Amino acid sequence: MIPGRNYYIKGRYFSKFYRIAVMVTAIEVCVLLAVSLAIWQDSGFGGGWRLAILVCSIVAATCGGWLGWGWYKLVCQIKDVASRFADKDIDVSYVNGLEQERQTDNTAIVRLYEAVCKRFKGKNSYIADLQKQAKDLQLNIRLLQKQKIKTESIIYSVRDAVIVIDEYDKLLIANESAGKLFDFDFKDCQQRSITELIDDSRNGFVEFLRRSRKTKARHTKYELEILRGDEPKTFSSIASCIHDEKNNVCGVVAVLHDITREKEVSQMKNDFVNHVSHELKTPLASITAYSEMLLEDKAGTEEMRREFCTVIQNQAQRLNRLIEDILNISRIESGLVKVEKKPLSLAVLIKEQTRMLKSYADEKNIKIVESELIVYDQVYADKDMISQVIVNLLSNAIKYTTEGGTVRIETEVDESLGLSRVSVKDTGIGIPKDDIDHVFDKFYRVDANKKKAKGTGLGLNLVKQIIEKVHNGRVFVRSEVGVGSTFGFELPLTKREVVGEKM
Amino acid sequence: MSERKVLVVDDEIHIVHVVAIKLRSNGFEVVTASNGAQAYELACSENPDLIVTDFQMPVMDGFELVKKLRQNEQTKDIPVIMLTARSFSIEAEQKEQLNISECLGKPFSPRELLKKIEDILYQKSVTN
Repeated sequence: MIPGRNYYIKGRYFSKFYRIAVMVTAIEVCVLLAVSLAIWQDSGFGGGWRLAILVCSIVAATCGGWLGWGWYKLVCQIKDVASRFADKDIDVSYVNGLEQERQTDNTAIVRLYEAVCKRFKGKNSYIADLQKQAKDLQLNIRLLQKQKIKTESIIYSVRDAVIVIDEYDKLLIANESAGKLFDFDFKDCQQRSITELIDDSRNGFVEFLRRSRKTKARHTKYELEILRGDEPKTFSSIASCIHDEKNNVCGVVAVLHDITREKEVSQMKNDFVNHVSHELKTPLASITAYSEMLLEDKAGTEEMRREFCTVIQNQAQRLNRLIEDILNISRIESGLVKVEKKPLSLAVLIKEQTRMLKSYADEKNIKIVESELIVYDQVYADKDMISQVIVNLLSNAIKYTTEGGTVRIETEVDESLGLSRVSVKDTGIGIPKDDIDHVFDKFYRVDANKKKAKGTGLGLNLVKQIIEKVHNGRVFVRSEVGVGSTFGFELPLTKREVVGEKM
Repeated sequence: MSERKVLVVDDEIHIVHVVAIKLRSNGFEVVTASNGAQAYELACSENPDLIVTDFQMPVMDGFELVKKLRQNEQTKDIPVIMLTARSFSIEAEQKEQLNISECLGKPFSPRELLKKIEDILYQKSVTN
């Protein structure tokens, strides 16, 4: 109900109508009186007739007034009801108000009002219901939209590539990784055919998706190679069928995981195992063969027996060295090695190790030249490990240098870069260009130099691991075939003050 | 019966040495090489009755050597015994394809090797 408006025909309105009615009645009475008097004076009626005419006139006027009033009231009610309908203001209390007046008023309008009210009342609650439903629906839609965005962002944020297709091979959703992988705009590809988006000629991925949808298998695995830039990457893809409520397959979701690194690692492991097996079995083969010969007494002379025994001994030592090296490397790689870092002088360490290798060098008539002792070349390092590095580098240099050659070991300090550099320079056979990048690799041995000396192919790798992995240093190599090689390493210098305090 | 000639190929000098001693003491003539390329040349020039070769060698490995031998009319029928120190054995298919008579894993017994060589050469002489 609109406030400030009174639809009841009562109070102010009623008195106004009343006044109008009285006025109309009065005018009517006056007119009738005037007419009656006029007729009366002109006619020859007697006193009885005149009184009767007067009474009739008064009665007629009253009836007319009453009638007029009733009509007026009816018109007002009709107007009122009409305006209510126009305003769609249907209120039960209004009917009650009308009912009170039913006795005196025209009931038809009340009944009409009631009928309309009833109809509208039903409709009204129906409309209200609809409005409520519409509101609920809007709320639901907003909620669903939010959920959709959330689900999409979950899929978008997955690191692996995710592609979802429907039963007609149309793309439902794909994330950024998938877009990058197959080179399409992942946000603007929904409802496009998967064959349009992915070039299947090379990897057979689309065929795989189709196959897994047709077979209806819950999960299918597939390994494929995809070129990214210039390098081929291996991906492991798992396609899972999406089932609807009737358990029909209504799409496929595929996740692609980059397994290139895993593959490489597994390949490296295989290679390593093969290498280790080969390297271990080779000395073992000699030991087995020579011992069998000794047992069969095929070594005729005493000299031969001694030779066989020497071979066995050497091969056993070789095997032991190999195992030690492998263990050392694996300890460093796995981080299990115990590192005891202390401030130490590289020059002093070099002096010690050179002394130990002197007899080996003398055997081959090779001169070891040391640089002058440097006043300050303290590094913070594990003494045993660095000793091992120096021994490996020095013995390599001696090993690959022909008799009468020179091995020069030098220490330099680069104050500006804050590092100490050790280099071992030989006048040996040198390393071919193609091999130089691989000399620090595990088990790598330069084919051309294999004949010249025995080795496990692990010594330089151990050097690299100790310097770079344990001490954050750097190894380097320079070489020229027939001229010689320089192997060396750099370690960060310790700060003087700190050492000073500690010492 | 003429002296039977065996070509022994291995980059491991001790292995060549011990096999040579074993074979020589059993009445074989032995020629030795330390890689596949060298062995191929010797196989052509010396015309051995049998070749014992290592698998993994520098310059040219045992596999390539056999492939090359099989392509040459002169050497295509020479029986080959392959020694290998790898963790996996040579697949039967490849063995068949390259007509490798026998594969022996390292470490091996010289006695066994000798027996295999004699068996193969006996078979060969019977079929001829």
